[in-house]
Amino acid sequence: MELLKRLFEEKGVRVDWEAYERLTAALREELEWARELRRREADWSYIESRPEPLRTALKLLVETGDLKLASKLCSIPLDELNEERIKAKIPIVVVSLKGDEAPEGA
Amino acid sequence: MFSEIKREPARSFAFALAAERRLLVVPRLEAVDALALRVLELVNADPSLPPIDPPEAYALAFAKHAGPPLLTDNASPKLASLTLEELKGVEVLDSLDVLRALYSGETLLRAVREFAEDTGVRFSARRLRELGVA
Repeated sequence: MELLKRLFEEKGVRVDWEAYERLTAALREELEWARELRRREADWSYIESRPEPLRTALKLLVETGDLKLASKLCSIPLDELNEERIKAKIPIVVVSLKGDEAPEGA
Repeated sequence: MFSEIKREPARSFAFALAAERRLLVVPRLEAVDALALRVLELVNADPSLPPIDPPEAYALAFAKHAGPPLLTDNASPKLASLTLEELKGVEVLDSLDVLRALYSGETLLRAVREFAEDTGVRFSARRLRELGVA
């Protein structure tokens, strides 16, 4: 966080650091919960049945939740990968930035 | 972002929306480019958070420039709009914000359920409670 503050300060960027720390703490909790949800809900036998590079793209998607990243790194069109994501039962998880409650359930 | 749509059914759908004036393709504007590059650098400065890519950075900068809300399910643009002074005032909406703007009561609950089934998009319990949907 100190490195980030220094970087932004050097660039003359004004940041509400109190809000940033509060919101990112909540976001990190939610992102970890979302990763677990994707791992749990994914249809692993379907994923393992797919040819490369689709298989790797789907595994990357489970871990990162980043459809565009997986699409670019594996050179698979975004809409094609999204259709495969739905077949593989990998949810796109929309998370909260508010951290006042436990993140269990969906 | 339009170039990312490769498959014919998706492109046809986008063209149909444009023909009905329900889709606006925004040109690159020099005035927005500078902020977009800055947004890209700032939002991606923390590698532990979801990244933003150049088209999304441009959309966020364009929202600041022209005033429309940015629609995205990525949490990072919303975080940026709430914490970076130069993005203050930009409205960032996710799918649940949009559904809530369109429906209410039992219809909203059904719409959320059907949206999740159709798209494979899930909302965290915290996010649902935040908008009073659960």
